[in-house]
Amino acid sequence: MANLILEPEARARDPLSGRIPVSVVTGFLGSGKTTLINKLLKRPDMNRVAVIVNEFGEQAIDNDLVQVSSEQMMLLNNGCLCCVLRGDLQETLRDLFVQRRTGEVIDFNRVVIETTGLADPAPVMQTLMTDTMLMAQYRLDCVVTLVDAINGLEQIETMSEPVKQAALADRIVITKSDLATEEDIGRLEQRLRELNPQVPIRRAVNGEIELAFLIDVGLRNTKAKLEEVERWMGEPEHGEHAHRHDERVKSFALRYTEPFSWNGFAQCLEVLTALRGPDLLRVKGLVNVADHKGPLVVQGVQHLFHPPVELEQWPSDDRSTRIVFITRGITKESVANLFSAVGAIVPASEP
Amino acid sequence: MNTLSTQGQASQTLAWNMKLISHNELAGFGGVGEGINMQKTADGRRILWLAHESAPKNFTGVDVTDPKNPKVVVQTDLPHKDVRSNSLDVVGNIMAVAYQTKKWGLKPAGMDLFDISVPEKPKLISHFDASGPCSRGAHCVWFVDGEYVHLTSGSADFEPINEKDDQFYRIIDVRNPSKPTEVGRWWYPGTRKGDKEPPVPRHPKFDAGYRPHNTNIYPQRPDRAYIGYIDGGAVVLDISDKSNPKEVTRWRYSPPYNGFTHTVMPLFERGLWVVSDECVKDNGADWPKLAWVVDARVETNPVSIATLPLPPAENFTKRGGRFGAHNLHENLPVETSHRDENIVLGTFFNGGVRAYDLSNPYQPQEVAYYVPGAPKLSPAGAIQLNDVWWDDRGLVYTVDRFAGGLYILEMNL
Repeated sequence: MANLILEPEARARDPLSGRIPVSVVTGFLGSGKTTLINKLLKRPDMNRVAVIVNEFGEQAIDNDLVQVSSEQMMLLNNGCLCCVLRGDLQETLRDLFVQRRTGEVIDFNRVVIETTGLADPAPVMQTLMTDTMLMAQYRLDCVVTLVDAINGLEQIETMSEPVKQAALADRIVITKSDLATEEDIGRLEQRLRELNPQVPIRRAVNGEIELAFLIDVGLRNTKAKLEEVERWMGEPEHGEHAHRHDERVKSFALRYTEPFSWNGFAQCLEVLTALRGPDLLRVKGLVNVADHKGPLVVQGVQHLFHPPVELEQWPSDDRSTRIVFITRGITKESVANLFSAVGAIVPASEP
Repeated sequence: MNTLSTQGQASQTLAWNMKLISHNELAGFGGVGEGINMQKTADGRRILWLAHESAPKNFTGVDVTDPKNPKVVVQTDLPHKDVRSNSLDVVGNIMAVAYQTKKWGLKPAGMDLFDISVPEKPKLISHFDASGPCSRGAHCVWFVDGEYVHLTSGSADFEPINEKDDQFYRIIDVRNPSKPTEVGRWWYPGTRKGDKEPPVPRHPKFDAGYRPHNTNIYPQRPDRAYIGYIDGGAVVLDISDKSNPKEVTRWRYSPPYNGFTHTVMPLFERGLWVVSDECVKDNGADWPKLAWVVDARVETNPVSIATLPLPPAENFTKRGGRFGAHNLHENLPVETSHRDENIVLGTFFNGGVRAYDLSNPYQPQEVAYYVPGAPKLSPAGAIQLNDVWWDDRGLVYTVDRFAGGLYILEMNL
């Protein structure tokens, strides 16, 4: 007799598609998060977005945008929704989805979360990558970090939060670029590249930025094409950089042509997270695992990893494993040694 | 209605995981019934055939080879305004089209077979006459094997006890398409004059009659006909002897529900049926009209275990026109039809087209939807999606009952 409930592997649904994309906007105090979000919400093609803010402050949302509001939510003229973070993020996202389902709020198709200036984006990202209930409805699309062209460099040199915000970002926007000299911006850009060499950087003037730069960064389904994978992984490294001298944040890529065994690879990650979890700021990669048709997509933030997702097929002829690491003080050599020592690779061909 | 929601505004397009890739108003005749099928022509084109909801148009052929740029290649007229085609099916280059008249005794009532090898010029092969003193002809065809048409129809020799029960299940042999011949029939016991069974009970609130709507037969079970029998519920027949169909089971859940069982679609590997009702009243008057998930592992004891979850009725019943279940994508066993045991697509009138994941049939999950904004000139003031086809390329075609025509969608599942 037929088994009514399908085993997970027999299910048809793509593990990535159909999830509502979530963008996280982070940046130090005064970096212009509110301005950027206000500008985005005025765009005609951003008309079904739910924005989660920390509070309805004086300038949280332009008053001329608001159509209807309640204590914790407002409907904007263009159809977007803005709500205040209640309790924790998990609860807010779950409530929003339920209210969307029951028709109490608009059927938003994207969520933008504005973090506080002092926030470490890691917990937000971890929530989206590991809460199984949220993962059924949402996916992390992009972490956008705003950096103030005037004060950004000093903040990075003197405080830890801006460093982490930059290191974890999928996209960096330099704000107030009209108020700084080209030389200052150049130095800031170089510093940001040291912290996060793969990240695409753009400059915004008065919150104006090309929307396409900020959305659809994460993989939308397992049929991802090469350009989508490259968009998510970030720009290829521009050779050996001065960033190697940075004491705090290191970034490197590992590449292996031989396939891994899944158990071996998982063991490597387990050892790495057990030993250096807090310093493993961000990991993104495609992994060639023996007996799998497509690459396994892995991504992690510190000690937590998203469950691996297998793409339907390799996006190009290049079937080598490539993993990008952004770490706090962990060197390329030590990770490479660990991978060899644990013996995950069927045989190691590189590095 | 909650002010933070826009679901109730008929002008708004609502979408989730479905993207409109093109829209065609069918030369101004955008009212389509519940006949959609796709032909692959000898020269490699794909023609989507659509039966219209009502006169003046009969059927339309749309070249959807390039789905971004659909082109009407043929559109035909009915002989008069008191007949409608509503339903069609295509096998190879033969198309069967149903004809139902508004009143008994009118013609044409029955079915046409067309040769559509040249889609621009459909050639009539034969007409199967089902007119009669108590017949409106045919409402629905099921034609998937090139040999038999399973027809919901009246006939000249059939007199119902109640005028609403004037159609029944007929098996028509079309192996010689120029001479279609009835080889078997079945009607609900107690609906025909002279039946020894007692007359059937009428639905106390919404008496819609005891007639078949969709009659589905699949190669996995060539000996079974799965029939949505309107107020008779779901009926399964043993048709191993086509000349003598026998009842296997019937599942009748109205009352307490509001009748009008429309489609019984088996998911053979899963031991499930998806049974859809048809909403036939505006503004929620006959709500709830549902799509039921039925555990049919024991076919003689079907058990409903869930319904496909719909958006809030309090918003949609005010959106204009009908809101509730209607047609499903029926996994037609033809080359151009996508077949799926996990994902089910249905149209829900102003609720749009919706896709459900039945991996866990106790908790069906909505995974995609598209609700077009109200079409211009629609008398309902809202979209009324009537039928859906999911092609072998993964594209979704859905049609409006009154004015909107054809919407071609891409799903992200």
